[in-house]
Amino acid sequence: MPQLDVSTFLPQVVWLVITFVTLFLIMWKVAGPRVGNTLETRQRRISGNLDKAAGFKKEAEAVLEAYERAMNEARAEAGQVIAKAGAELSEKVSRREAELAKRLTAEIAESETRIEKAVSDAINDIGQVAVEAAGQVVRKLTGEDADEGAVGAAVDQAMKTRP
Amino acid sequence: MDRGVTATPVRTKEIDKVAEAHSPLAQFEIKRLVPIQIGDLDASFTNSALFMVFTVVLVTIFLVLGMRRNALVPGRWQSMAELSYIFIANMVRDTAGPEGRRFFPFIFTLFMFVLVGNMLGMVPYGFAYTSHIIVTFSIALIIFIGVTVVGFAKHGIRFFGFFLPPGTPLLMAPLAVPIEIISYLSRPVSLSVRLFANMLAGHTLIKVFAGFIVSMGVFGFVPFAFVFALTGLELLIAFLQAYVFTVLTCLYLHDALHMH
Amino acid sequence: MSAESPPEPDLEDLDSRLKQARDNIRGPFEKKEGNEPLRSAVGLAFRVTVELVSALAVGLGIGWVLDEWLGTRPWLMILFILLGGAAGMLNVYRLAMSSGGSRGNGDTGKDQGNR
Repeated sequence: MPQLDVSTFLPQVVWLVITFVTLFLIMWKVAGPRVGNTLETRQRRISGNLDKAAGFKKEAEAVLEAYERAMNEARAEAGQVIAKAGAELSEKVSRREAELAKRLTAEIAESETRIEKAVSDAINDIGQVAVEAAGQVVRKLTGEDADEGAVGAAVDQAMKTRP
Repeated sequence: MDRGVTATPVRTKEIDKVAEAHSPLAQFEIKRLVPIQIGDLDASFTNSALFMVFTVVLVTIFLVLGMRRNALVPGRWQSMAELSYIFIANMVRDTAGPEGRRFFPFIFTLFMFVLVGNMLGMVPYGFAYTSHIIVTFSIALIIFIGVTVVGFAKHGIRFFGFFLPPGTPLLMAPLAVPIEIISYLSRPVSLSVRLFANMLAGHTLIKVFAGFIVSMGVFGFVPFAFVFALTGLELLIAFLQAYVFTVLTCLYLHDALHMH
Repeated sequence: MSAESPPEPDLEDLDSRLKQARDNIRGPFEKKEGNEPLRSAVGLAFRVTVELVSALAVGLGIGWVLDEWLGTRPWLMILFILLGGAAGMLNVYRLAMSSGGSRGNGDTGKDQGNR
């Protein structure tokens, strides 16, 4: 069996030590760190990306919250605006109505006084006309001018007796 | 007369070579490719050494060139290089504990050296240096000495307590301590013998069946199928043995770091 | 307008997905993984044999060296073969315990044998 040939032991051990130490040095100083660095870089990169993703997620949540809050605020504001507008409108309407009513009442009152004045004017005029008419009637009948004072008094008297 | 004396051993050597070429053990033969003699030290460059150099080159290419693009999203080659790294890193962490991380380069080297050594025996004209007990034993011895040094460096004189398991009655100590010491010393032996025996058995078996292919001619396809299946099994075993070798090393490291 | 609107990107769902992704990228020295190495009866038998023979061999070697040194051949060798046998039994016992899942002071359950 070649394995038991003692004379081959020494050269095998010598080269075993040489090659093993060489490989160990390569592994230790070159190959190992190279692979290790790549793995570490990748891990760092991925976990960095995951951190970033988590950050984005948080941001998205914040944005969503802000959006919802803004939405609610806007809704509330809109409600307020609508209510306010409604109130304003109804106030304006009632104010206008009141104005109109006031104006109408005033106009009515004015017309009434005007009518009253017209009526009283008319009545006065009627008295005047009646006096003149009565004077003419008297002149036509009697041929002479009637006493103006007496006619006036008679007309007044007649008008007073009538309702 | 002179010629006769010199010619005979040459001739027998030739015959031996021919005979050994068919022997399933011929594949394990050590050939001195470049004889090197440093003083009394025989440091000849053998076929075993050649394949060890192959291993260094292959592993370096696999890892260094595999990572040359250093891509964030790895290709297939880089994935494999990373996977081997992660595999051993997990093993070190799970088996030796977090403190074992310092020894990761050594464990990684060990795994690669043994794994590629085992695999190289599968390649045609390949040579598995791990099928030589001297190689596996030397590696196991390095591990054994290293682990013992780590144990003493970490625990000082208390590491001797390793040989007296807690709960042993003091009366039993004269018996228990030698047994524990022998048990401890048997670690490099069992570690190296297991790897060596697996590689020897597996590669011999394949060679035996491969020999059948030639001798059976047309019907050689039956052993061929067998060799094919066996080669698959051997690849698995080559991996498993490298794994076991490395895991046990991690385990010994764990024992040295944490004692009981 | 259309009946099928694209699924709403749910922020809760995103949260769980982010967590999952984070669990997946732990470093090589932190990753948790639970695969049990396969074990075969033949492998175990082989390991038992190796453990026994190794301890016996070590015992024999120590005994032989001590005998050479102290000139007590063959007594220490016999003694240490017996001790080696006991150590082998201890190794096998620990192997069996580790296979059973509990932990001796030597090998734990991580190892496995093949052939």
